[in-house]
Amino acid sequence: MIDLLPDRLPWFIAGPLLGCLIVGLFAIGNRPMGSLGAYIQTVSAVRGGAPEPWRVWFFGGMILGGFLVAILGGGPPAGLAFGALGEELSTPVLALVLLAGGLLIGFGARWAGGCTMGHGLCGTAILSRGSMVATAVFMSAAVAVSFLIHVVVGGRL
Amino acid sequence: MKLIGLVFGTAFGFVLSAALLTDYNVIHRMLLFKDWQPFLIMGSAVAIAVPGLRLLKRVGWVTPLGGPLTFSPSTVQRHHVVGSLLFGTGWAIAGTCPGPAAAMLGSGRVMGIFIVAGIFSGILLRDAMVARATARPAAVSPEPLGVGL
Repeated sequence: MIDLLPDRLPWFIAGPLLGCLIVGLFAIGNRPMGSLGAYIQTVSAVRGGAPEPWRVWFFGGMILGGFLVAILGGGPPAGLAFGALGEELSTPVLALVLLAGGLLIGFGARWAGGCTMGHGLCGTAILSRGSMVATAVFMSAAVAVSFLIHVVVGGRL
Repeated sequence: MKLIGLVFGTAFGFVLSAALLTDYNVIHRMLLFKDWQPFLIMGSAVAIAVPGLRLLKRVGWVTPLGGPLTFSPSTVQRHHVVGSLLFGTGWAIAGTCPGPAAAMLGSGRVMGIFIVAGIFSGILLRDAMVARATARPAAVSPEPLGVGL
Protein backbone atom coordinates (compact mmCIF):
# COMPACT_ATOMS: atom_id res chain seq x y z
CA MET A 1 0.00 0.00 0.00
CA ILE A 2 1.26 3.44 -0.95
CA ASP A 3 0.19 6.51 1.00
CA LEU A 4 -0.65 9.01 -1.72
CA LEU A 5 -4.20 9.99 -0.92
CA PRO A 6 -5.49 12.10 1.94
CA ASP A 7 -7.55 10.25 4.57
CA ARG A 8 -10.60 11.96 3.19
CA LEU A 9 -10.91 13.76 -0.12
CA PRO A 10 -12.53 17.10 0.86
CA TRP A 11 -16.04 17.87 -0.37
CA PHE A 12 -14.94 20.85 -2.49
CA ILE A 13 -12.85 18.50 -4.61
CA ALA A 14 -15.10 15.41 -4.59
CA GLY A 15 -18.34 17.28 -5.37
CA PRO A 16 -17.11 19.29 -8.39
CA LEU A 17 -15.36 16.14 -9.72
CA LEU A 18 -18.69 14.27 -9.64
CA GLY A 19 -20.32 17.24 -11.38
CA CYS A 20 -17.66 17.11 -14.11
CA LEU A 21 -18.25 13.37 -14.58
CA ILE A 22 -21.98 13.99 -15.14
CA VAL A 23 -21.27 16.74 -17.68
CA GLY A 24 -18.49 14.67 -19.29
CA LEU A 25 -20.66 11.60 -19.83
CA PHE A 26 -23.38 13.72 -21.43
CA ALA A 27 -20.78 15.54 -23.54
CA ILE A 28 -19.19 12.34 -24.83
CA GLY A 29 -21.96 9.76 -24.94
CA ASN A 30 -25.20 11.70 -24.45
CA ARG A 31 -26.14 9.39 -21.59
CA PRO A 32 -27.23 10.08 -18.01
CA MET A 33 -24.90 8.70 -15.37
CA GLY A 34 -26.31 6.35 -12.77
CA SER A 35 -25.25 3.63 -10.40
CA LEU A 36 -28.52 1.72 -10.39
CA GLY A 37 -28.52 1.54 -14.20
CA ALA A 38 -25.15 -0.22 -13.98
CA TYR A 39 -26.67 -2.88 -11.71
CA ILE A 40 -29.74 -3.24 -13.96
CA GLN A 41 -27.65 -3.67 -17.10
CA THR A 42 -25.42 -6.16 -15.31
CA VAL A 43 -28.52 -8.19 -14.39
CA SER A 44 -29.66 -7.99 -18.04
CA ALA A 45 -26.24 -9.07 -19.28
CA VAL A 46 -26.33 -12.16 -17.07
CA ARG A 47 -29.86 -12.93 -18.30
CA GLY A 48 -28.68 -12.85 -21.91
CA GLY A 49 -28.24 -9.34 -23.21
CA ALA A 50 -27.86 -5.79 -21.94
CA PRO A 51 -29.34 -3.00 -24.09
CA GLU A 52 -26.58 -0.73 -22.76
CA PRO A 53 -23.48 -2.89 -22.32
CA TRP A 54 -21.29 0.12 -21.46
CA ARG A 55 -23.13 0.31 -18.14
CA VAL A 56 -21.81 -3.16 -17.27
CA TRP A 57 -18.32 -1.74 -17.79
CA PHE A 58 -19.31 1.19 -15.61
CA PHE A 59 -20.24 -1.32 -12.89
CA GLY A 60 -16.82 -2.94 -13.15
CA GLY A 61 -15.28 0.53 -13.04
CA MET A 62 -16.98 1.39 -9.75
CA ILE A 63 -15.35 -1.67 -8.17
CA LEU A 64 -11.99 -0.86 -9.78
CA GLY A 65 -12.18 2.73 -8.52
CA GLY A 66 -12.64 1.49 -4.95
CA PHE A 67 -9.69 -0.85 -5.44
CA LEU A 68 -7.43 1.97 -6.66
CA VAL A 69 -8.24 4.09 -3.59
CA ALA A 70 -7.43 1.13 -1.34
CA ILE A 71 -3.99 0.55 -2.91
CA LEU A 72 -3.21 4.28 -2.95
CA GLY A 73 -3.77 4.43 0.77
CA GLY A 74 -7.06 6.30 1.08
CA GLY A 75 -10.49 5.39 2.37
CA PRO A 76 -11.60 3.37 5.36
CA PRO A 77 -9.76 0.13 6.19
CA ALA A 78 -10.55 -3.11 4.42
CA GLY A 79 -11.83 -6.20 6.18
CA LEU A 80 -14.95 -7.33 7.97
CA ALA A 81 -15.38 -4.02 9.84
CA PHE A 82 -18.51 -2.02 9.14
CA GLY A 83 -18.24 1.10 11.26
CA ALA A 84 -20.49 1.63 14.26
CA LEU A 85 -23.06 -0.85 12.89
CA GLY A 86 -20.38 -3.53 12.80
CA GLU A 87 -19.54 -2.88 16.45
CA GLU A 88 -23.20 -3.12 17.40
CA LEU A 89 -23.99 -6.40 15.62
CA SER A 90 -22.31 -9.79 15.35
CA THR A 91 -21.04 -10.59 11.85
CA PRO A 92 -23.86 -13.04 10.90
CA VAL A 93 -26.56 -10.61 12.10
CA LEU A 94 -24.80 -7.74 10.34
CA ALA A 95 -24.75 -9.76 7.11
CA LEU A 96 -28.52 -10.34 7.34
CA VAL A 97 -29.22 -6.68 8.12
CA LEU A 98 -27.07 -5.53 5.17
CA LEU A 99 -28.76 -8.06 2.87
CA ALA A 100 -32.19 -6.76 3.95
CA GLY A 101 -31.04 -3.15 3.53
CA GLY A 102 -29.65 -3.95 0.09
CA LEU A 103 -32.89 -5.65 -0.89
CA LEU A 104 -34.87 -2.51 0.01
CA ILE A 105 -32.34 -0.34 -1.85
CA GLY A 106 -32.52 -2.44 -5.04
CA PHE A 107 -36.27 -2.97 -4.93
CA GLY A 108 -37.08 0.64 -4.07
CA ALA A 109 -34.61 2.31 -6.41
CA ARG A 110 -35.69 0.03 -9.27
CA TRP A 111 -39.27 1.06 -8.59
CA ALA A 112 -38.31 4.73 -8.36
CA GLY A 113 -36.26 4.50 -11.56
CA GLY A 114 -33.01 5.73 -10.05
CA CYS A 115 -30.79 6.13 -7.00
CA THR A 116 -28.71 8.86 -5.40
CA MET A 117 -26.59 9.30 -8.53
CA GLY A 118 -29.31 8.87 -11.17
CA HIS A 119 -32.09 10.87 -9.57
CA GLY A 120 -30.20 12.77 -6.87
CA LEU A 121 -27.36 14.20 -8.94
CA CYS A 122 -27.88 13.53 -12.65
CA GLY A 123 -31.68 13.82 -12.83
CA THR A 124 -31.63 16.89 -10.64
CA ALA A 125 -28.90 18.42 -12.83
CA ILE A 126 -31.13 18.14 -15.93
CA LEU A 127 -33.90 19.75 -13.82
CA SER A 128 -36.13 16.67 -13.98
CA ARG A 129 -39.14 17.19 -11.72
CA GLY A 130 -39.58 13.47 -11.14
CA SER A 131 -35.94 13.14 -10.06
CA MET A 132 -36.20 16.10 -7.71
CA VAL A 133 -39.27 14.65 -6.00
CA ALA A 134 -37.64 11.20 -5.81
CA THR A 135 -34.55 12.78 -4.25
CA ALA A 136 -36.55 14.73 -1.68
CA VAL A 137 -38.48 11.57 -0.75
CA PHE A 138 -35.53 9.16 -0.42
CA MET A 139 -33.40 11.69 1.46
CA SER A 140 -36.26 12.44 3.87
CA ALA A 141 -36.98 8.73 4.35
CA ALA A 142 -33.28 8.01 4.96
CA VAL A 143 -33.03 10.81 7.54
CA ALA A 144 -36.26 9.76 9.29
CA VAL A 145 -35.29 6.08 9.49
CA SER A 146 -31.75 6.98 10.66
CA PHE A 147 -33.15 9.03 13.55
CA LEU A 148 -35.53 6.16 14.32
CA ILE A 149 -32.59 3.72 14.46
CA HIS A 150 -30.68 6.24 16.62
CA VAL A 151 -33.55 6.38 19.13
CA VAL A 152 -34.34 2.65 19.10
CA VAL A 153 -30.76 1.62 19.98
CA GLY A 154 -30.58 4.24 22.72
CA GLY A 155 -28.25 6.63 20.90
CA ARG A 156 -25.46 4.08 20.32
CA LEU A 157 -25.85 4.47 16.55
CA MET B 1 -18.62 3.46 -25.38
CA LYS B 2 -17.51 0.46 -23.28
CA LEU B 3 -14.16 2.12 -22.58
CA ILE B 4 -15.95 5.34 -21.67
CA GLY B 5 -18.14 3.35 -19.28
CA LEU B 6 -15.09 1.80 -17.65
CA VAL B 7 -13.26 5.12 -17.33
CA PHE B 8 -16.24 7.01 -15.91
CA GLY B 9 -17.17 4.12 -13.61
CA THR B 10 -13.62 3.95 -12.30
CA ALA B 11 -13.43 7.70 -11.72
CA PHE B 12 -16.82 7.59 -9.99
CA GLY B 13 -15.88 4.68 -7.71
CA PHE B 14 -12.56 6.38 -6.98
CA VAL B 15 -14.16 9.66 -5.87
CA LEU B 16 -16.82 7.91 -3.77
CA SER B 17 -14.18 5.83 -1.99
CA ALA B 18 -11.65 8.64 -1.56
CA ALA B 19 -14.33 10.93 -0.08
CA LEU B 20 -15.27 8.15 2.41
CA LEU B 21 -18.82 7.90 1.09
CA THR B 22 -18.24 4.14 1.31
CA ASP B 23 -17.98 4.40 5.11
CA TYR B 24 -21.02 3.51 7.22
CA ASN B 25 -20.15 6.05 9.92
CA VAL B 26 -19.88 8.92 7.42
CA ILE B 27 -23.27 8.18 5.82
CA HIS B 28 -25.03 7.42 9.11
CA ARG B 29 -23.71 10.63 10.66
CA MET B 30 -24.72 12.53 7.51
CA LEU B 31 -28.30 11.27 7.90
CA LEU B 32 -28.27 12.39 11.56
CA PHE B 33 -27.04 15.84 10.41
CA LYS B 34 -23.73 15.37 12.24
CA ASP B 35 -21.57 15.33 9.09
CA TRP B 36 -22.41 17.80 6.35
CA GLN B 37 -19.68 16.87 3.86
CA PRO B 38 -21.82 14.36 1.88
CA PHE B 39 -24.55 16.99 1.49
CA LEU B 40 -21.95 19.51 0.33
CA ILE B 41 -20.59 16.96 -2.15
CA MET B 42 -24.07 16.40 -3.61
CA GLY B 43 -24.81 20.12 -3.67
CA SER B 44 -21.55 21.14 -5.31
CA ALA B 45 -21.83 18.33 -7.89
CA VAL B 46 -25.24 19.62 -8.96
CA ALA B 47 -24.01 23.22 -8.80
CA ILE B 48 -21.28 22.33 -11.31
CA ALA B 49 -23.40 20.07 -13.51
CA VAL B 50 -26.36 22.44 -14.00
CA PRO B 51 -24.43 25.30 -15.66
CA GLY B 52 -22.13 22.82 -17.43
CA LEU B 53 -25.03 21.01 -19.09
CA ARG B 54 -26.83 24.26 -19.81
CA LEU B 55 -23.74 25.58 -21.59
CA LEU B 56 -23.44 22.40 -23.70
CA LYS B 57 -27.10 22.72 -24.66
CA ARG B 58 -26.76 26.40 -25.50
CA VAL B 59 -23.86 25.85 -27.91
CA GLY B 60 -25.82 23.03 -29.61
CA TRP B 61 -23.23 20.42 -28.62
CA VAL B 62 -23.14 17.27 -30.76
CA THR B 63 -21.72 14.37 -28.74
CA PRO B 64 -19.06 12.24 -30.47
CA LEU B 65 -20.69 8.92 -29.45
CA GLY B 66 -24.36 9.73 -28.94
CA GLY B 67 -25.54 12.32 -31.48
CA PRO B 68 -27.06 15.69 -30.59
CA LEU B 69 -27.29 16.31 -26.86
CA THR B 70 -30.72 15.41 -25.48
CA PHE B 71 -32.07 15.46 -21.94
CA SER B 72 -35.12 13.43 -20.95
CA PRO B 73 -36.47 14.97 -17.75
CA SER B 74 -39.43 13.17 -16.18
CA THR B 75 -42.66 14.49 -14.72
CA VAL B 76 -43.58 13.50 -11.18
CA GLN B 77 -45.11 10.01 -11.03
CA ARG B 78 -46.36 7.86 -8.17
CA HIS B 79 -43.43 5.46 -8.56
CA HIS B 80 -40.97 8.25 -7.80
CA VAL B 81 -42.53 8.57 -4.35
CA VAL B 82 -43.32 4.94 -3.46
CA GLY B 83 -40.04 3.52 -4.73
CA SER B 84 -38.00 6.26 -3.09
CA LEU B 85 -39.63 5.67 0.31
CA LEU B 86 -38.39 2.06 0.21
CA PHE B 87 -35.02 3.04 -1.21
CA GLY B 88 -34.48 5.68 1.49
CA THR B 89 -35.35 3.14 4.19
CA GLY B 90 -32.79 0.69 2.83
CA TRP B 91 -30.23 3.48 2.56
CA ALA B 92 -30.64 4.28 6.27
CA ILE B 93 -30.40 0.60 7.30
CA ALA B 94 -27.29 -0.27 5.28
CA GLY B 95 -25.74 3.20 5.45
CA THR B 96 -25.06 3.21 1.74
CA CYS B 97 -26.60 3.40 -1.73
CA PRO B 98 -25.83 1.50 -4.98
CA GLY B 99 -22.70 3.43 -6.08
CA PRO B 100 -20.70 3.30 -2.83
CA ALA B 101 -21.82 -0.30 -2.22
CA ALA B 102 -20.11 -1.37 -5.46
CA ALA B 103 -17.00 0.68 -4.59
CA MET B 104 -16.87 -1.10 -1.20
CA LEU B 105 -16.24 -4.39 -3.00
CA GLY B 106 -13.14 -3.08 -4.73
CA SER B 107 -11.67 -1.58 -1.60
CA GLY B 108 -11.93 -4.86 0.27
CA ARG B 109 -14.78 -3.98 2.61
CA VAL B 110 -16.07 -7.51 2.61
CA MET B 111 -19.48 -6.85 4.18
CA GLY B 112 -20.38 -4.82 1.10
CA ILE B 113 -20.93 -8.14 -0.69
CA PHE B 114 -24.17 -8.62 1.26
CA ILE B 115 -25.45 -5.18 0.29
CA VAL B 116 -24.62 -5.69 -3.40
CA ALA B 117 -26.25 -9.14 -3.32
CA GLY B 118 -29.31 -7.54 -1.73
CA ILE B 119 -29.47 -4.81 -4.38
CA PHE B 120 -29.30 -7.37 -7.21
CA SER B 121 -31.99 -9.46 -5.51
CA GLY B 122 -34.20 -6.38 -5.03
CA ILE B 123 -33.93 -5.48 -8.72
CA LEU B 124 -34.80 -9.05 -9.76
CA LEU B 125 -37.73 -9.13 -7.32
CA ARG B 126 -39.15 -5.85 -8.61
CA ASP B 127 -38.74 -6.93 -12.24
CA ALA B 128 -40.47 -10.24 -11.46
CA MET B 129 -43.37 -8.39 -9.81
CA VAL B 130 -43.78 -6.09 -12.81
CA ALA B 131 -43.59 -9.05 -15.20
CA ARG B 132 -46.33 -10.85 -13.24
CA ALA B 133 -48.57 -7.81 -13.15
CA THR B 134 -48.08 -7.31 -16.89
CA ALA B 135 -48.96 -10.94 -17.61
CA ARG B 136 -52.30 -10.55 -15.81
CA PRO B 137 -54.25 -7.63 -17.25
CA ALA B 138 -56.78 -7.76 -14.38
CA ALA B 139 -54.07 -7.23 -11.77
CA VAL B 140 -52.94 -3.88 -10.48
CA SER B 141 -51.50 -1.83 -13.30
CA PRO B 142 -47.70 -2.03 -13.14
CA GLU B 143 -45.56 0.98 -12.59
CA PRO B 144 -43.57 1.74 -15.72
CA LEU B 145 -39.96 0.65 -15.50
CA GLY B 146 -37.84 3.76 -15.54
CA VAL B 147 -34.77 4.12 -17.64
CA GLY B 148 -32.80 3.13 -14.55
CA LEU B 149 -30.61 6.12 -14.07
